[in-house]
Amino acid sequence: MKMLLATSVALASLAFLGACGSRPGYIEPGGPESIVTPGEVDIQDIKKAAAVMLDSLFETGVLGRAKNQPAQLVIGEIKNDTSSRFDLGELTYRMREQLVNSGKALTATPDEVKRRMFFDPTYLPDYTLTGKITYIKRQAGRIRQTTYTFSLTLTDPSTGMEVWTKTDDLTKQGTKSGIGF
Amino acid sequence: MRNPSSATRAAISLALPIAFLALGCTPAVNVTTTRQTPSAASVPFRTDVNDALGKAQLRLVEVRVDRSPGGPLRAQVDVSNETSRVKRFSYKFEWLDAAGVLIPSTQSTWIPASVPPGGIATIRSVAPTDAAADFRMQVLRSQ
Repeated sequence: MKMLLATSVALASLAFLGACGSRPGYIEPGGPESIVTPGEVDIQDIKKAAAVMLDSLFETGVLGRAKNQPAQLVIGEIKNDTSSRFDLGELTYRMREQLVNSGKALTATPDEVKRRMFFDPTYLPDYTLTGKITYIKRQAGRIRQTTYTFSLTLTDPSTGMEVWTKTDDLTKQGTKSGIGF
Repeated sequence: MRNPSSATRAAISLALPIAFLALGCTPAVNVTTTRQTPSAASVPFRTDVNDALGKAQLRLVEVRVDRSPGGPLRAQVDVSNETSRVKRFSYKFEWLDAAGVLIPSTQSTWIPASVPPGGIATIRSVAPTDAAADFRMQVLRSQ
């Protein structure tokens, strides 16, 4: 009888604990319920950086000053100089989507531009987009802090001069990963 | 005027560094412009009954909208924190065309922000296209 009672209590406890666990479900990508990792670049960080960069590109009007309209843009090299591994396409595709769909720019890869230049050696795109993602890591006791800096530059290939540049900093602090901003 | 006694002088000399130390934790003075009237770009705004800014103990001071040099509209929202603690929140702008239809955009994403105690923060957004005519901003209080 005692054995039966103990088993029932154990099963009830397990069922209770199971009910308290996190159930799988959908959340808004990059939304406030996302996991925040102090030492890594998260999806919400990439989405924020892309938004800040696009805000600046549209606000300054640099795309409207290009010879061609819509401006012709080559997405060049963007270096990830951080210890966090992620696909840089997460940043560039988001930016390309908005640039092309807004009608303000046409984008191409360096390979596509090389192919075009093979047939038309005088061809030059209006701008080349390049950039770098860097980080500074610090620790005080158990608190870890990482500042990620996203830097992007638009260069006019005909002059080699930078026509637009923007940096966006993001500092994450914590002892371990958590949920929410 | 009487000269302060040595005990008073000692008390003052002790109190001043403590006061400065305490002030170091919170801004004593917030510098702002002397403008008393709303900006020329200021627009009327509406906050919903379910006021997330209020719940986050933040106050909406002014909303400005103008056309950016690049063409699309840009919005700036001044938010003040009248408490003695840093207030963290996240916000998201969504832009609408003249018919009130949402313009899908990768720029529309949740962005974390904070306001220092007694300070003002300006949160901003630029419309994704020239067709944008209005916007809405959502705020969520951070933990």
